[in-house]
Amino acid sequence: MTVDLAPRRRGGLRLRHPLVVAAGGAGYGGELLAAVAAQTPGAIITRSVTREARPGNPTPRMALLSHGLLSSIGLQNPGIDAVVQRQASRWSASTTPIIVSICADNAEDIAALVRTLDMQPDIAGVELNLACPDRSRGGEPIGLDVEATEIATVAARAATDLPLIVKLTASAADVRPIARAVAAAGADVISAIAALPALALDPERGGAILGTAYGGLSGPAIKPVGLRVVYEIAQAVRLPIIGIGGVASLEDVLDYLAAGATAVGLATAALADPFLPARLADELAAWCEARGISDPGALSGRALPRRRDRGSLRSGPFAR
Amino acid sequence: MAMRMQRRAGTARATKASPGEEVHLLETRPVLPGYQLLTWAAQDIARKVQPGQFVYVLAPRAPGLLLPAVPVAGVDRLAGRIRLLISADTGHEALWSLRAGDVGRFEGPLGRGFEIDAHSRYLLVVTDVAGFARVGASVEEAVASGRQVTLLLGARTAAEVLPSSLLPDEAEYVVATTDGTLGHHGSVADLVSEYEAWADQCLAAGSTELLTRLVRLAEGRRARMGVAKLGRKRRRGPEPRATVSRRRAWLQLALPHQAGCALGVCLGCVATGERGPLRVCREGPAFAAGELRWETGS
Repeated sequence: MTVDLAPRRRGGLRLRHPLVVAAGGAGYGGELLAAVAAQTPGAIITRSVTREARPGNPTPRMALLSHGLLSSIGLQNPGIDAVVQRQASRWSASTTPIIVSICADNAEDIAALVRTLDMQPDIAGVELNLACPDRSRGGEPIGLDVEATEIATVAARAATDLPLIVKLTASAADVRPIARAVAAAGADVISAIAALPALALDPERGGAILGTAYGGLSGPAIKPVGLRVVYEIAQAVRLPIIGIGGVASLEDVLDYLAAGATAVGLATAALADPFLPARLADELAAWCEARGISDPGALSGRALPRRRDRGSLRSGPFAR
Repeated sequence: MAMRMQRRAGTARATKASPGEEVHLLETRPVLPGYQLLTWAAQDIARKVQPGQFVYVLAPRAPGLLLPAVPVAGVDRLAGRIRLLISADTGHEALWSLRAGDVGRFEGPLGRGFEIDAHSRYLLVVTDVAGFARVGASVEEAVASGRQVTLLLGARTAAEVLPSSLLPDEAEYVVATTDGTLGHHGSVADLVSEYEAWADQCLAAGSTELLTRLVRLAEGRRARMGVAKLGRKRRRGPEPRATVSRRRAWLQLALPHQAGCALGVCLGCVATGERGPLRVCREGPAFAAGELRWETGS
């Protein structure tokens, strides 16, 4: 069940199994590892960290909807230096690969964040989150713009030899040119998708439920969107993909693998049940064994059109 | 796998650290339209739970969503039973349709409950119908420990008043209804002034409007009661912003857990505290009133 997400990097990014906890699903890693003991995920991607501390958004921050969860945490974190200081010993004690997610508004901050992490001996990789709202761009994520995405990825790539994952948003009208820019700029892995911008209203008050009005929708409701984006990225680039969005069952895992993912990330469902990634990995192993499949990598991309047919997508509804 | 427990200030603050406990539903009892009281055999949780703490429902549940943690509304430690008061709109639709004999899996007890001063003899509990689940166990425990307890309950109308059978016989039960069909006509907060001199401490849960009003009342209580400031003389200048002692606080509030991981990780259930965000699932759900900042609508 071993998966290497960055075989070209020295040391690679080897996971015991392809079920990872995506950013937001495990804090900084230590909390979840303490809870699950031996039933560990394949890797843990931490909550996104910024260069300076951020207090987070006003409350309420979370609303339970019928098929999803709307949340607006606002990147609450104590800043990269404090996170490293508090978490380094936990990361070094972990046998599960720890990938630290970072978020910044500009290339200078991205480079500074990555350089700080590059000096940490026990980090398996860095995830550059280009899906979070960028304050300097009026709240528009960097990942909506091809040029800004390329600049951000280059800045991160230049600052480290660690495996670099770039997280993309599903809000882009066409994610394929953005994925190509990420690949060209030297990223090792693409992760997608992040929570979708959404709004929930309180019919009694007539106002927004969340303190910030808008939030990010996650959970089962966004799985079809995640599948679509992974499916498109997989046809645009040859990078490994971590498919994220609404994963809560073996069926969801198989769907993401079929759509082209190499690994599958859980966030909301992992928060609800920290043991779920390890349990799904066991179920996937049993499913593969029952069908005589020794390498789960063989499941990746089964739903993709054959290479000579892929041009037809360009005339689809999302074509540009 | 052993539950990891942290002891602090004499109160258990547990983390979600195991696959949970298998629990068996013994009885379901509709107590009001839209409210059911579920009695569960849950030996381990019943032994450990403190009033104000909650459990996280691992099963049965909708997959892939962060649900609200459920407060333990009552506990029978000898029999190893806990009672959950659930409403139809709490996000736990999967619990709603259960019948006696069904099996579930809970994690808990979680969070930090009420801390009642050992010297407090007279306890005032103020709540509305939705908040009762968060204070019900406190009434039972306080009565069992020999304290005198008065519960003030606010409801919109007489038809929505919780039955007195949910409370120990020894507890005084006073009702206020918005439409005046039972008990005091008006807000339950109107009744607090009659009891504030009698009560050594007050525990509360309910709507933001109710809690905000109680906080305002508690802020002026010291002046109204003429309570002398005892203890070591403080130096002049601004008050040091030391951690508010929950155990000594006259008013403690239990906030609802709207949704989240109950692990302290997602930061989705935070309330606005005087010194920064406070996680309802870890630092709470019970807080001293002075720990929370109310002008920002927390």
